[in-house]
Amino acid sequence: MLASRLIPRTAVRSVCRSQSSLPTVVSPLSRWRRGYASQADEKDLVIIGGGVAGYVAAIKAGQEGLKVACIEKRGSLGGTCLNVGCIPSKSLLNNSHLYHQILHDTKNRGIEVGDVKLNLQAMMKAKETSVTGLTKGIEFLFKKNGVEYIKGTGSFASENEVKVQLNDGGETSVVGKNILIATGSEATPFPGLEIDEKRVITSTGALSLDKVPEKMIVIGGGIIGLEMGSVWSRLGAKVTVVEFLDQIGGPGMDAEIAKQAQKLLKKQGIEFKLGTKVVTGDKSGETVKLEVDSAKGGKPETLDADVVLVAIGRRPYTTGLGLENIGLEIDERGRVVIDSEYRTKASHIRCIGDVTFGPMLAHKAEEEAVAAVEYIKKGYGHVNYGVIPSVMYTHPEVAWVGQNEQELKKDKIPYKIGTFPFSANSRAKTNLDTEGLVKMIADPETDRLLGCHIIGPNAGEMIAEATLALEYGASTEDIARTCHAHPTLAEAFKEAAMATYSKAIHY
Amino acid sequence: MASFATATRLTTRLVSRRVTQDAATRGFQTSAASLAAQNFTMPALSPTMTEGNIASWKIKEGDSFSAGDVLLEIETDKASMDVEAAEDGILMKIMQGDGSKNIQVGSRIGVFAEPDDDISKLEIPADEKPSPKEAKKETQAPQESQQPAPAKAAGGQRQPKSGPKAPPQKYPLYPSVEHLVKEHKLDESAISDMTPTGPGGRLLKGDVLAYLGTVSPNRPEEIKARFVHNSHLDLSNIKIAAPKEAPKKATKTTEVPIPEDSVVTLPVSLAAVIEVQERIEKKLGTFLPLSTFIARATELANDELPLPSNYRPTADELFNQVLGLDKVGPKGSRGRYLPQISALPKPSFTGVAPKPKAKVDIIDFLASQTKKTTSKPKRPSLQPGISTTDNVFSLTVPKAEEKRAQVFLQKVKAVLEAEPGRLVL
Repeated sequence: MLASRLIPRTAVRSVCRSQSSLPTVVSPLSRWRRGYASQADEKDLVIIGGGVAGYVAAIKAGQEGLKVACIEKRGSLGGTCLNVGCIPSKSLLNNSHLYHQILHDTKNRGIEVGDVKLNLQAMMKAKETSVTGLTKGIEFLFKKNGVEYIKGTGSFASENEVKVQLNDGGETSVVGKNILIATGSEATPFPGLEIDEKRVITSTGALSLDKVPEKMIVIGGGIIGLEMGSVWSRLGAKVTVVEFLDQIGGPGMDAEIAKQAQKLLKKQGIEFKLGTKVVTGDKSGETVKLEVDSAKGGKPETLDADVVLVAIGRRPYTTGLGLENIGLEIDERGRVVIDSEYRTKASHIRCIGDVTFGPMLAHKAEEEAVAAVEYIKKGYGHVNYGVIPSVMYTHPEVAWVGQNEQELKKDKIPYKIGTFPFSANSRAKTNLDTEGLVKMIADPETDRLLGCHIIGPNAGEMIAEATLALEYGASTEDIARTCHAHPTLAEAFKEAAMATYSKAIHY
Repeated sequence: MASFATATRLTTRLVSRRVTQDAATRGFQTSAASLAAQNFTMPALSPTMTEGNIASWKIKEGDSFSAGDVLLEIETDKASMDVEAAEDGILMKIMQGDGSKNIQVGSRIGVFAEPDDDISKLEIPADEKPSPKEAKKETQAPQESQQPAPAKAAGGQRQPKSGPKAPPQKYPLYPSVEHLVKEHKLDESAISDMTPTGPGGRLLKGDVLAYLGTVSPNRPEEIKARFVHNSHLDLSNIKIAAPKEAPKKATKTTEVPIPEDSVVTLPVSLAAVIEVQERIEKKLGTFLPLSTFIARATELANDELPLPSNYRPTADELFNQVLGLDKVGPKGSRGRYLPQISALPKPSFTGVAPKPKAKVDIIDFLASQTKKTTSKPKRPSLQPGISTTDNVFSLTVPKAEEKRAQVFLQKVKAVLEAEPGRLVL
């Protein structure tokens, strides 16, 4: 009986057997189980740097079926952006904003909170949790897409070989048919003021101060300086921003918007010294002292602070990469020289992200990563550099895409402008968050959108719509004739478009 | 806003692609978000299939079906296969009935409606393909179907108000363009006279204005030039010698290697098994065929085999690895191996079988033989000593699974040689 019950099953199985090899034929992509590369192992693509440019390229290459290895020395993937940049700063910005709101704003909204205390350690922990979750997520995506992750420091041994000093000790080398340089950037130090990340800090140190400084000076009124200045100002520091130019926000920000941003940040308690040059710094005393001078020749002044944040920009990072071993060129600002297809002098070595030309933005690096892999795999890739949005995550946020007024003026391009203030927007009104405006710049004749600049709540999300419109060559009328949900902040965007080509309804 | 004809065409293509990829789960898609009825075309059930016959429809006109139901049976020169529905719907009309012969892949065989549609009110869409007889080959079909598509798509969109003729723009016009066109009562020929300056040849508001003469005719082109300029990375002012323009080297990727099979073998002695078999027969009077032992040993040995070297872990497994949780649970996976036993023991031991001349798969052999054996149990007494001859158990597996197969065979060997009694008692 037992036998008769079993036999049919065996018979069935023996029939299945001929097919059983079918589902187990696994695609050749899954090589992740291999160990670290040995010398004999030639990759289709070796990527130096596991930041946003490098990891996106690695995943994309894995998806395209290339044999790919990614070398990263930090010990976690995601580069500056995920570890000590965009991501941790957004965590601090969001949480410090909440804290600031509870202290100063919720009472007006009918929420009375008792004793409000700041637990900086817990706030930092929340930041770490977000960061770890995301960097681990990339490691997971590497595994999923068959990317070999080599933890170590890479340098060129020859045009096709990268030596890797492994973090765990030892050395290995990888040979690649193609090599991608994606080593990113580092904070530019201020001459004469040594960075110790305790009292003289870069953005990295500003993300992990162990206590709120009483006084803080930010050298550089760009996006990084203003975001980190905002965080510590909200947590209670007295923040002064010293900027050499006459405008905050860096070169891309529209002058009118920059002025308004400055006004609003000042209202939150941040001091600004524009057109001011830092001459020297001295950190030998109890506090750090800075000699500043008006750029236009005013009277010199001495500022002092517990912490000085140096945020005067970032510079390409190629230290130890061994570019000189293979004769790759860099320009006077340290950027690796490339052509329009991201190729260096050696055509199989490409370079993308902060370490080469263009704005130092994570999303720009991401686009380039995909384009570079497509060039390698398909012979054509594309990034539209004219349509790369920028966002400053202060409160209110500032975001823009396309051209600004001063650029158009400089190039003598005619333009027309339409604006709409959030104070006339119903959603902003109900949120009691009505500062800011949407400003659109369009061609006066054809109405084609040239640029869009937003300061206000949720500007960073709203800019996506302007980016899409620009990418498609839309006119402001096209935007205005597209239905926007009511009541939303995005209606302000639509109304600004109406104001540009005709007239806004609600203003 | 693509016309529903285009949608259906897409559907058809989707079907054929899907089917080629996975002949085991045949199906079609009717996912286009369209309220109208949809044409269902002859699916390609294999990459080489160009035409087929309809053996029979399994549902009638007006019947509803849900995903997974068998809709019809299609015969090709090679096989006949059932076509299953991938989504719910209603069979509105059968265009090619039972027994229709030589229907080209891609030609219409029926019309489907969405599950909730009132089919009495739905119109039957036009067949966008030439009749089955006229259609030539499947390879031509994509070109054919793409040519008229733009005209139809745009025509369908504009038809309700303006007129039947189609403008050359392949997508919905921008809201501002549409507005100007209506406002100035422009017709399609006027639209085709305009010069599009938008990305990808899209017609912009400025292009219409330039055509109407409200703005200077060169203005759109000037702006376009500026956008094109801005869209490139500015590499103009590099302060060192520009790199040489190397000839473009399109990198070829390595060709996908054809998975190689390898044969793993292991000699296994069945002496212990036969001994147990005899003991059981003596004690209990039950004869247990060898296949029972082997099947059970196989069952056991298939448990927790090491993963093949090219194993693709699931998303969960990958994430557990990242988190370091992978070391906790069991590591292997269950195998699906059945060994081939190629060198049979001497005839006396399998006396039930006709003497095999060539190599015989013992499983097949035993499986089919035992049926007879059970009905007429004619067994010669087994002589000990003869069956100790080694039998070669072998497996043909993809190269990547060599290790896994070896472990499997070793387990089989261990079980069969060491304590086969436990397999049945």
